[in-house]
Amino acid sequence: MRDALRDPANQVSPRARSLWFAEAVIVTVLLVVGLVLLSMWMTGWDFLPQWLLDRTWVAALAIGLVLVPFVLAEPVVRFAVHRWELAADVVYARSGWLSRKWVFVPVSRIQTVDKAQGWLERFFGLATVEIRTASYAGSSTIRGLDYEVAARLAEELSRRAQELRDDAT
Amino acid sequence: MSLPFQEPVPEAARLSPRLLLIDPIRVLPSLLVPLAGVLVAGGFSPRSFIWAALGVAGSVLYAVVRWATFSYTITGGRLELSRAFIGRSTRVIPLERIRGVDVTTPFLHRLLGLAVLKLDTGAGGDKQEGELDGITVEEAERLRGVLLSRHHAAAPELQERPAAPRDHVFLKVPRAWLRYGPLSGAYLFTPFALVAGAVGLAFQWGGELGLDEDDAVAAGEWLWGHPLLLIGVAVVLVVLMPFLGAAMYAFFNWNFVLFGRGDHLVAERGLINRRVVSLERRRIRGYEIAESPLERRARVARLWAVVTGLGDSQTRGQLLPVAPRAAVGDIAAEAVGPFSEALRPHPPAARRRRLFRAIAPWVAVALVMYALGYALIGVAATVLAVAGIALGLDRYRSLGHTYDGTRLSVRSGSLRRAQAVVERRAVVGWTIEQSWFQRRAGLVTVIAGVGAGSGGYKAIDAGETQAAAFAAEVTPDWMAPFLKR
Repeated sequence: MRDALRDPANQVSPRARSLWFAEAVIVTVLLVVGLVLLSMWMTGWDFLPQWLLDRTWVAALAIGLVLVPFVLAEPVVRFAVHRWELAADVVYARSGWLSRKWVFVPVSRIQTVDKAQGWLERFFGLATVEIRTASYAGSSTIRGLDYEVAARLAEELSRRAQELRDDAT
Repeated sequence: MSLPFQEPVPEAARLSPRLLLIDPIRVLPSLLVPLAGVLVAGGFSPRSFIWAALGVAGSVLYAVVRWATFSYTITGGRLELSRAFIGRSTRVIPLERIRGVDVTTPFLHRLLGLAVLKLDTGAGGDKQEGELDGITVEEAERLRGVLLSRHHAAAPELQERPAAPRDHVFLKVPRAWLRYGPLSGAYLFTPFALVAGAVGLAFQWGGELGLDEDDAVAAGEWLWGHPLLLIGVAVVLVVLMPFLGAAMYAFFNWNFVLFGRGDHLVAERGLINRRVVSLERRRIRGYEIAESPLERRARVARLWAVVTGLGDSQTRGQLLPVAPRAAVGDIAAEAVGPFSEALRPHPPAARRRRLFRAIAPWVAVALVMYALGYALIGVAATVLAVAGIALGLDRYRSLGHTYDGTRLSVRSGSLRRAQAVVERRAVVGWTIEQSWFQRRAGLVTVIAGVGAGSGGYKAIDAGETQAAAFAAEVTPDWMAPFLKR
């Protein structure tokens, strides 16, 4: 899409990298802990080959090692990809990591604006703005915004949405 | 923008504290279970009683926290719902966007004089748009007044119109068209559905006739012991497929009539139960045509209207039963408008992708099955992989999108090839998606968000620049600032 669309103007907060890193670490740790527990339980499974029964921890280790580069790469890639912009009364947001998503939502079609902050986001001083229209394909979620920025954006969007009444749908 | 009257000083309101009683009342019976154990089993288990009590206490605490952390405000022409505990969230709904307010009183709520107020903002999909669960009935009535006071658009819709006579019959479907019914495939499974229904009925009535599970198991074993009979039954059912399918289709679509009444399109059908669906014409935003490969051969198709605010559009939006393409085109042009723009093909990379997706999974299955020694399944998978070549090529031929100045159209699919034609004004936004594999191939899926029908219409595997140009062509004002020159 490099040739077709320009990048949205604004980056998300640099602290979003910490958020994504923390999330990835939490998921990975839970997964590995789960696998370790599973491997402790697996020792009783005599239908498995002996060489695997002797080394049930291999699966946990292998998955953990495979995931490490992803955990390290995800925050960096996401920070480069996730961008947003409000121009000409259209919200233009890009997101994704391995896949990509570009969303265009005209303010005149916005139905609701949500500003949300989960406990981890609160810890990093971040927030999420969710913009919804009458269609899932015209709805956008912008994550990793600085709390102040998110509050201003949500305020601005709901103010403009009120001014631009357009009930065509 | 002229400011409407200013409300009194806004002040965050909470749900009624009476709401706190509802959850305890709901979970209280679980305390009775250990007590019932005393009577039935003769032994009182203090442990289970403690667990149940903890459960009740937990749910009460949860209810209190939920109540204490939620508040709503009407301020400056909008409704704000906010929840703040460890995380915080605020939902802002401009009052202008509220199309309807629905007040309900479930049983427990009614006992306590409470009500649930639900907001309809006209958004499609199942996602909850806004709900105040547990305000007093008086507050609900007051809010209904406040929320709808600036609501102008609803007025004409709410007016009761006298039933106008049938002013124009667009189409009376000839009986001969009923023969197309089984081609769609859905009705072909009628014999099996009937058998399943009969078995279900047998179980339901069996108890009253003095039969029990042992008899059912015995009957099953007896059947299993006579494989020839089983095969015979299966053959009979398969032979019956087209006939029973046609009969069932005729039963539902007998004397299909499409006519206009006032500003509604009305479809009436059915042999014994006449099913009548009226669609408000000014809410129709487009149509969708679907064909199976058999139907394409016979040059027939099915037609639905894309209507805003219509749930279950697949059955209720139906404008025609299976009908010849010429008739489908006429009715589509009548209901929505003529559309004859040719579809633009997608890049050759899309063909490779369709082929890969149709073939590769079966090749993988075949290889694994051969390796494991299940040759028969391997052969079956190989056959499917070969069939995948034709399927993939046809899927590619189906892909396309276009725009004629007022309506856009997208098409995809092979076993169910579906083409949607949607008015430009119905578009509420765009989403462009690109999976990792699509990125390698330089393709994207561009989705026109529409507040009607299925919510989004996809042009699958379009080229990158092609996709951006398509969105920009349909809605230049929105896209222009973001295009690369």
